[in-house]
Formats: sequence, structure tokens, C-alpha cells
Amino acid sequence: MEQRLANSWRLTVNEKKFIETALLPALRIDGRRPFDYRNLTINFGKHDGSGEVQLGQTHVMAFVTAQLTQPYRDRPNEGSLSIFTEFSPMADPSFEPGRPGQAAVELGRVVDRGLRESRAVDTESLCVLSGKSVWAIRIDLHILDNGGNLVDAANVAALAALLTFRRPECSLGGEDGQEVVVHPPEEREPLPLIIHHLPIAVTFAFFGSESSVVIDPTHHEEAVTGGRMTTTLNANGDICAIQKAGGEGILQSVIMQCLRIATVKAGDITEKLKKAVDSYNTERALKKIKRHPSSTLMDVDGAHSNSREKQSPPAFKKATSEFPSHHTRKSNKLENVEGETNSSEQRNTTKNFIGGPSSWDPYSKGVDPDFLKASLALRGASTASKKQEVSKNEKMHGVAKLEETTKDVNEGFLPVEAAQAEQPTRGEKTLKDAVKPKNRRKKNQSSTGAS
Amino acid sequence: MEIDRIDGRTPNQLRPLTCSRNVLNRAHGSSSWSQGDTKVLAAVYGPKAGTKKNENPEKTCIEVIWKPKTGQTGKSEREYEMILKRTLQSICILTVNPNTTTLVIIQVVNDDGAVSFKVAICCGLAESGYVILDPAKLEEQKMKAFPYLVFPNSVLSVLPEGSPKVEGELMENGIITSVTQGAMAVDNYFHCLERGRAANEKMSAFLRRSLQPQLPG
Repeated sequence: MEQRLANSWRLTVNEKKFIETALLPALRIDGRRPFDYRNLTINFGKHDGSGEVQLGQTHVMAFVTAQLTQPYRDRPNEGSLSIFTEFSPMADPSFEPGRPGQAAVELGRVVDRGLRESRAVDTESLCVLSGKSVWAIRIDLHILDNGGNLVDAANVAALAALLTFRRPECSLGGEDGQEVVVHPPEEREPLPLIIHHLPIAVTFAFFGSESSVVIDPTHHEEAVTGGRMTTTLNANGDICAIQKAGGEGILQSVIMQCLRIATVKAGDITEKLKKAVDSYNTERALKKIKRHPSSTLMDVDGAHSNSREKQSPPAFKKATSEFPSHHTRKSNKLENVEGETNSSEQRNTTKNFIGGPSSWDPYSKGVDPDFLKASLALRGASTASKKQEVSKNEKMHGVAKLEETTKDVNEGFLPVEAAQAEQPTRGEKTLKDAVKPKNRRKKNQSSTGAS
Repeated sequence: MEIDRIDGRTPNQLRPLTCSRNVLNRAHGSSSWSQGDTKVLAAVYGPKAGTKKNENPEKTCIEVIWKPKTGQTGKSEREYEMILKRTLQSICILTVNPNTTTLVIIQVVNDDGAVSFKVAICCGLAESGYVILDPAKLEEQKMKAFPYLVFPNSVLSVLPEGSPKVEGELMENGIITSVTQGAMAVDNYFHCLERGRAANEKMSAFLRRSLQPQLPG
């Protein structure tokens, strides 16, 4: 039934020839050199153990969860690691829901081999009670967008999620010391997993005509490629796994060359991964510390730096997050509604407005046009896009005022508002919180406008 | 209902909304919607040729796939799929592309309560507003009963004269979908309807503003 429904995408002969011919002088269709990786961004979700990776146009999300189970009979002292791959139909029209297909199973196996058989994740530390109770770690990989080279992206996502995952601490209690007591995170700090090394998968694609080799193929290149090889190795130069399933025959010298290149790439990716995880961990640690609200100036600076960098420096973020909670909730709430929804959807609509490739970064702070405007005043820097945002700002303000008045008429006793979460330690509220002082300025503007 | 909510909201407050569209490359339409910590990603493909066996070939068939964050898809996912499918069928004009299938895939990114119906669809199919009482996960677990309500998005903001009336009641006040869990008194249900309607105005205004730049005229 699905075959009749799926309009499978096929590469035309012209496109094929174009890609192959371009590779002769080592040109790739997206302008990269043969051994260049696409842009890799690693983000983390709200909860521990969720990672989202963007490798060019490929989007993969990984979630790690743990459960207490009985161990395998032949390994009573070890926990287990299992990987579930979901080739979501949203990634590619040819992916079908239901049982995982061949490619999904292969991907799962490659990632699994890299993690488990190379002993990257220490399973013995997952044992709670020998022979009775161990932690079973489950990794769910969701492929959201198929832009090619799913294995590499999925591998990095799995590693990112594993590195930030925290399992609850448990101790033995009960009468005979045989009962396992799991402590909730509020009681005892959850523990990270012990990971010895980071196996990174690097995929090569071979094109028959002139034995061209490229790294990190896009999905157009994958459709043309004659053979593929995935090497999983770590930054120490150890080869954890090599997967070459069918395809064309490759010379041994080419394989050795690929391995050398892969070592370098693995080192780069490990660096990026470590940096991302470190910044996440610092944020996390800072979130636990309650701070006093800081000055407005800090807010603007913080948000400005937020808008500049994908991964906000933790220090700025924490300083800014405290500011609003005390003042703003009591103040003009209707104003806040507009500010909230305005800023949040402004931020996102300006993303679309600017156009270009979709950059889905749910966990990054994005660009807040309100703040760009404020920071313009401070820094005096300006770009064309900012000007567009500024003009959009004004348009939105106009709309905001209109809606405010109609709302006043109709609200009566049912004020429905966009709420501000009260915990001052939530970093995610930074931009919205930081918008609050801007609201006051807006209020002044509107009042001066009216008068 | 004078209980104190965990995150300090009053009973009538919604969590902050964010919405972004065109987040995926391969999908024909995609968007991500979040309300507080709950976050959902939706993608739309279509129309593809052919309909399923039991579907009417004179109309478009809408197929919904709901993917939870972890774990196998079970009965609750099937239920969400069915509810969503029926809701979408009632708001989309189905006779435009007969004998085709439109595929809607929902991926739950983070579940902090009120996950179902947090869907934002972008591919020019229809504009609609979805409303929930918006409980957070911990509150959901404690609640005795909660209804999911889906209201139509009013095209005109709030102009009583212009809206068509059906039997003396404004058409915009109709309910598309209502799914209740648990037992509640009739008065409470109507109370929820009132609040939901008010919240709907906000959310549909937000949705309209976020869609506006991309729509012609």
C-alpha cells in the first residue's frame, strides 16, 4: 500500500552526471572540498540526556533514558545499552512508519558497535545489585531531517546525549540490604555515566568513475555514490569499528588514506563535542545557584552576546535570568502579554523573514530583535537585517496597541496571560525576561505617543 | 480554583508561546511550537497520489503519525493520531485535491504537560487555533479531570457585527473537538469552555501574527 502512496524521489541522469563530473576536479555541488565536513552544531534539550545535532541539513535528535532491570544471565555484573533508531517519516518522504528498514537497522548497529563493543560506555558501573538489578540505558535516535550522512550525525547525537545524561543515584537499603532505593534528583544529585572515550563515526563515499573519495556525503551525493564506508574511531587514534557493506571494491591504499583522514576529523569533532558538553555542564551547574537580580545593563549585554553566539556563555545567561521575576509579574500584565508573544514570535518570524536555510535551534536563544534594537543604541553597530527588524518592531507595536484596547474591552474578569515561570534560575527565560525592561520602555513610548 | 500553581502562574495564565516555521529541509512544511517547556515538532508532506483502502477517494485523506519522545508507539499515540486526524479533517477543505494523501507527522520533543494538540501546521492548508487549559506535567498528574478543547480560529479579531451567527450564537464560539478525561461536573465543563475560549483568542492572535508575514495580503 505504501509503495503506491510514496512518491519516491529519484535523481535524474543529468544530476547524476553533473555530480560525478564535478568531482573530477574535486568540486562538490555544495562548494565543499572533498574532505570537508559540513557545519556541525550540537545543542541540548531541557532535560539531561537529550541532544540535538545539526550536520548541514541533517537533523538528528537523541534521548537517553535509564531503567532498572534484571541483568543478562551471563553478565550479572553489567548493565546494558540499547539503541533504538527511528527513521521518522518527517525526515524523508521515502521513510515509512512502522518497523525499521534496512538502513535504520544498519545505522543502529554501527552506532551500537561504536559505543558498546569498544567499551566506550562503562557497563560495569551500571550494576546496582549483582545478578538482580542493573541499569539498562536506552538511547532513542530520532532522524528528523535526512540531508545525507545520517550515521555520523546520529553518532554525535548519541554521544552528546550520553555525555549529558544523569542517572539517579541509588543505594541499597531495606532489611537485608537487598532492596534498591532510587533517590529522586531533589534528594541526591544524579550521576553522570562513565564514558571512557568518544568513538566518532566518519563516513566516506566512493564514486566509481575516477575513484574519487569524499567525506560526509549529502543526500544527493549518496544517491550517486557507488560505495560507502563508515569508520568509527576516537581521538586517541584507536579504530573502534569499520563498516563497509557492499558497494564497489576499494584499494587498500585508499582505505589507509581514509583512516588517516578520519583520525584528523575525529579529533576535530571530539573537540567540538567536548566544548559543547562543557558549556552545557557549566550552565547546568550555574542554574543550581540562585543569584540576585542583576542590573539592566547586564541584561542587554548578555542578550547581545546571546544573539551573537549559538551557545550562550553561561556567565552572562545566569546573570540575566534573575532580573525579571520580582518586578514584572506585578506590573502591567497585559503589556507583558504583548511583549511576550511579540518578542517570541518576532524572533521567530524574523528568522523566517531573513530567509535563508532553516536553522532550527530550539535550544539556542536565537536573535531577539528587541535586543538588537537596544544594543544598536548601545553599540552603534547596525546591519541591514537589523534595520528590517527595527521596522518590523514598529509595525508590531502598532498591532500590539490595537489589540490591547480590544482586549481591554472584552477581557472582563478573565485575564488570560502569557505567564512567566517564576523560578529565577531558569536560563531559558533569559530573552523573555530580558524583554521586560524593554516593555517598560515600550510603555513609555506608547504613553508618550498617546499624549 | 484558588490553588497555587508550581511555577507561580495564576489559574488563568498560559505559558509563553513560541512558534517557528520551516524548520526542516526535506519536509514540504514544518514547524515547531512550544508552550513553556512542552515542545512539539510537526512536519507535513503532501499531497501524495492515492488514498488508503477505506478512505473516500473523492476527498483528501489526512494521515497523522504521532511519534513519542521515547518508547514504542502504543495506544495513546494511536488515540492522539485519531483525534488529530478528525480535527484536521473538519478544518481543511478536503475536496480540493481528491484521491490524495497528506501526511502529517508529529514528533514530541519535550513533554511538560498538555502535549496533545500542540500542533502548528504550516503548508497553507488551513489556519486554526488550538486551545488547551495548558496544564504543566505535574499539574496534569494531580488533576482529577481535564478536557482538551479545540476551538476555531476567528478570522476577524473581535467584531461581533461582522461574524455570522448560527442560531443566535456566534459561530466562532463553536467547538471543533472536545476530549475529556476523568469526571467533572457540568458547570465545571462550561467553566472550562469559557476560559478556553478566552485563551483561544490569545493563541489565535499569536498564531495569526506569526503567520502573517508569509501569507500574501
